[in-house]
Amino acid sequence: MNNGADKRLNRRAEEDEDDEDDGDGLEAWERTYADERSWESLQEDELGFLRPIDNKAIYHAQYRRRLRSLSSSAAATRIQKGLIRYLYIVIDLSRAAAETDFRPNRMVVVAKHVEAFIREFFDQNPLSQIGLVTIKDGVAHCLTDLGGTPEAHIKALMGKLECSGDSSLQNALDLVHGYLNQIPSYGHREVLILYSALSTCDPGDIMETVQKCKKSKIRCSVIGLAAEMFICKHLCQETGGMYSVALDEAHFKELILEHAPPPPAIAEFAIANLIKMGFPQRAAEGSISICSCHKEAKVGAGYTCPRCKARVCELPTECRICGLTLVSSPHLARSYHHLFPIPPFDEVPLSRPNDPNQKAKRNCFGCQSLLSPGNKPGLSVACPKCQQHFCLDCDIYIHESLHNCPGCESLRNSKSVIANET
Amino acid sequence: MKFQIEDVTVYFPYDHIYPEQYSYMIELKRALDAKGHCLLEMPTGTGKTIALLSLITSYSLFKPESPIKLIYCTRTVHEMEKTLAELKLLHKYQKEHLGAQARILAIGLSSRKNLCVNPRVVAAENRDSVDAACRKLTASWVRAMAAENPNVPTCEYFEDYERAGGEALLPPGVYTLQDLRAFGREKGWCPYFLARRMVQFANVIVYSYQYLLDPKVAGIISKELPKESVVVFDEAHNIDNVCIEALSVSVRRQTLEGATRNLNRISQEIDRFKATDAGRLRAEYNRLIEGLALRGNLPTTDIWLANPALPDDILKEAVPGNIRRAEHFLHVLRRLVQYLRGRLETENVEKESPVGFLVSINNHAGIDQKTLKFCYDRLHSLMLTLEITDTDEFLHIQTICDFATLIGTYARGFSIIIEPFDERMPHIPDPVLQLCCHDASLAIKPVFDRFQSVVITSGTLSPIDLYPRLLNFHPVVSRSFTMSLTRDCICPMVLTRGSDQLPVSTKFDMRSDPGVVRNYGKLLLELVSVVPDGIVCFFVSYSYMDGIINAWNDHGILKDIMQHKLVFIETQDVVETTLALDNYRRACDCGRGAVFFSVARGKVAEGIDFDRHYGRLVIMFGVPFQYTLSKILLARLEYLRDNFQIKEGDFLTFDALRQAAQCVGRVIRSKADYGMMIFADKRYIFPNSFSITLTSKILNSLIKG
Repeated sequence: MNNGADKRLNRRAEEDEDDEDDGDGLEAWERTYADERSWESLQEDELGFLRPIDNKAIYHAQYRRRLRSLSSSAAATRIQKGLIRYLYIVIDLSRAAAETDFRPNRMVVVAKHVEAFIREFFDQNPLSQIGLVTIKDGVAHCLTDLGGTPEAHIKALMGKLECSGDSSLQNALDLVHGYLNQIPSYGHREVLILYSALSTCDPGDIMETVQKCKKSKIRCSVIGLAAEMFICKHLCQETGGMYSVALDEAHFKELILEHAPPPPAIAEFAIANLIKMGFPQRAAEGSISICSCHKEAKVGAGYTCPRCKARVCELPTECRICGLTLVSSPHLARSYHHLFPIPPFDEVPLSRPNDPNQKAKRNCFGCQSLLSPGNKPGLSVACPKCQQHFCLDCDIYIHESLHNCPGCESLRNSKSVIANET
Repeated sequence: MKFQIEDVTVYFPYDHIYPEQYSYMIELKRALDAKGHCLLEMPTGTGKTIALLSLITSYSLFKPESPIKLIYCTRTVHEMEKTLAELKLLHKYQKEHLGAQARILAIGLSSRKNLCVNPRVVAAENRDSVDAACRKLTASWVRAMAAENPNVPTCEYFEDYERAGGEALLPPGVYTLQDLRAFGREKGWCPYFLARRMVQFANVIVYSYQYLLDPKVAGIISKELPKESVVVFDEAHNIDNVCIEALSVSVRRQTLEGATRNLNRISQEIDRFKATDAGRLRAEYNRLIEGLALRGNLPTTDIWLANPALPDDILKEAVPGNIRRAEHFLHVLRRLVQYLRGRLETENVEKESPVGFLVSINNHAGIDQKTLKFCYDRLHSLMLTLEITDTDEFLHIQTICDFATLIGTYARGFSIIIEPFDERMPHIPDPVLQLCCHDASLAIKPVFDRFQSVVITSGTLSPIDLYPRLLNFHPVVSRSFTMSLTRDCICPMVLTRGSDQLPVSTKFDMRSDPGVVRNYGKLLLELVSVVPDGIVCFFVSYSYMDGIINAWNDHGILKDIMQHKLVFIETQDVVETTLALDNYRRACDCGRGAVFFSVARGKVAEGIDFDRHYGRLVIMFGVPFQYTLSKILLARLEYLRDNFQIKEGDFLTFDALRQAAQCVGRVIRSKADYGMMIFADKRYIFPNSFSITLTSKILNSLIKG
């Protein structure tokens, strides 16, 4: 009996050791090395050289999946998009933001990606404005008011990086609600909360605040850095936002950038109405005028409001004097592509390299490089409208940055030329 | 979806079926084919109920020539409603596919408290007073009086129901308790009596365990249900305890005092009747000579639920002569109460077998075994004769008679334990005389004998071979299924050492060790800072919980925990606990986060779900062994060893593990849920102290992890 028990004990101990060898016993540095699996990205070619694996195809497949999901949701019901967005980014700087599970800590990681996000956001939504709010010691502070200049926000954020105390979701929502409630109805009210804490210490009933936000049509989205919380889920469900929790830094970056493209318009606001806008002219170089935003005399490089002739430094903005929305026409034009996205390109089947049709299009229409370098058949895509072939790099470039298909554009040009000629 | 299992077409209301549900159905079908009993274990959250319901109803549709009746027993009213709601969905689906052929009648049956629609009656606060209030309005003599004197109040719902007579039937369909009440209100019929009548016509009956197991109420089924029935006990992991409780009686001082009061009242009534209506007592006497079984021709409302645990010959036998007359019976009862009072005045703990006790009663009080056997029925007959309607006042004397009948009937499987004070509080005298049943098979035996198939099923029935021994039956199928998980939604862990590498345990010699207390505190503290929303902690007993919380408070650990989450504590007071639970849920909802301290084997551990964000983590501090010094437990262990060859250690371990599994199982109620479970005790890992292993879902994933 005793013997048997001892044996069992021994066996158990051995099993434990085995377990440790299996992977849990790895040192931290070993694990990071093992996680990256750098050896797997190498492969041997026919001559015995080690070459990096062709990751392009994999990346491209991922990208296409993303693109398809985006376009399918958009194409299904010709969704109206909210192009004029008023977004408050709420950054949780409570005690939990000092946790070091993200390196060096959550706060720094958040700040880094918020910076990238702000730039990306203004790139995609030139007509929109952002404001920053932080939560610290259970109180929400407004870091920057709504504005259209990325640099101002980034500067303000980087100067204020320290964390302490509890976090309060309700205080933040109340504060943001107060600001966003004054926004004219054509603007889209949004809040993006980057939440590090696992709890919220609120002065009152947060459910009321959630309902208040819902009533004011504020779309609240949350990205959690720790774990899923019920209240955040509830908030997002009620207000129509997105809730996600970041697994690691790369995932966090992906999640935050998902908020950059404009969301579908809320049905109640989808009524078309006219907005008065001014297109200010750039002031002449060397002219001296008092800037209405900084309240000091500045030399040159500003814009003049067409209605009251006040000088502003940056576009887009709202004129401080007469309240006119000031934009530049490139801004408007750049927002356009969200409404009329380029259809996703079709993948060209790899086979039939000898097909005469195929043969004609051996070069990428975008960059003119060979589509099948060497004799290896490479992946390529074709625009469903103009049937021109593109390489994978150009595909990504066209869809994510250019927003125009060179094939279709040139087709249109040549057509008009032909029409002129006849 | 519709599919074949062997020769039966099964109608399943959902588009997808889990593989374990399918194999569950196959096993169940085989048991039904074999017309035998079965024992099936499948984790909660895998849709056990719907698998059961759809197979059994489909099976009976497949064999229309011999329709089987389904009797589904649940533990709580809430589960009853959930089951009926599932059945409703299934019925709707079957009707779409089969049309009129799929017609079934399914009803839920509960006490008057849950079914009554008369506002004057249902206002009473507890079950017994609702019953009494109902009897006050519906007893046959009250109605007879009302016929003469319109000022006597009656229940209009019951009157309408009676007037409708045989016409009062439920159209086919599935009726939850709510539906029954609505139907009753609309038609003006009493839903309770309607449901009781419909029991004999219904294809599916859903009710509580007590209706089958408790001999005091089980009479309702003993007449009406056919042998071709399938009885299902859901969530049956504690069925042995339910059986034992149904046959155990405890008598305290208050009981005896109350019984004396009752007896005085009865004797007054007898005197009154003698003066006014002596013929009635005479008639009763004549009836008793003919035997108890002939009571059948009384009006339905007056029927007392008969006692199926009694052998048949007692029911046919005539009542012994010495208690036929009311006064004599009263004398016997007085002597019995007097004797019990004498026994309670003891200084030491006494333990006696029923046989010895009977001899002692015979010597000291002059009451023989046969007389005792008839006490319960004789009392009810007397109370009927005396037209007593406020039955809730007479609970004490009923307890005494119950005790007398049980002790007169069973010679084996019981013991009588007299304790002068509670072991844990030796300074407060609180004498209690307990008649404890040790043999769970006694109460459930009539059910196994009577019905064609009995299905015992639950989320945790491990080790599955122990149940047939405990309940003394032979299952044709006994299987245990594991949950197929598409992702890792549970993360069970055994923790044997604290952060300073000291072993942690709630073993008696270690539990008050400051190191263990500190380690447990640190564990919780670290977990509250990383787990969102709700955390549930189970301790082994109230006294241990009080002790450890005090220690944590002194060390400041509690304060640190409060920084992250609010703390709620279960107490023995039901109202306080309900309030704490309610606030706990609110704290979880609003994002503040909360910890709930609870006790294994407490009310919370058995009946309350901590699903979704209400329980992201559950910690079991220690192994929840029963209080091993309790006399009742010791007596039961001895009985199990002698009669069923179950070792004491085995049973204790089995019981503790089943409790622990039950506790941690509170957090996962469906596959979409996720949560973490921690068993914090070094004894969970050493196999030599646990000769039985937890073969449930939890241990399975433990081995993998």
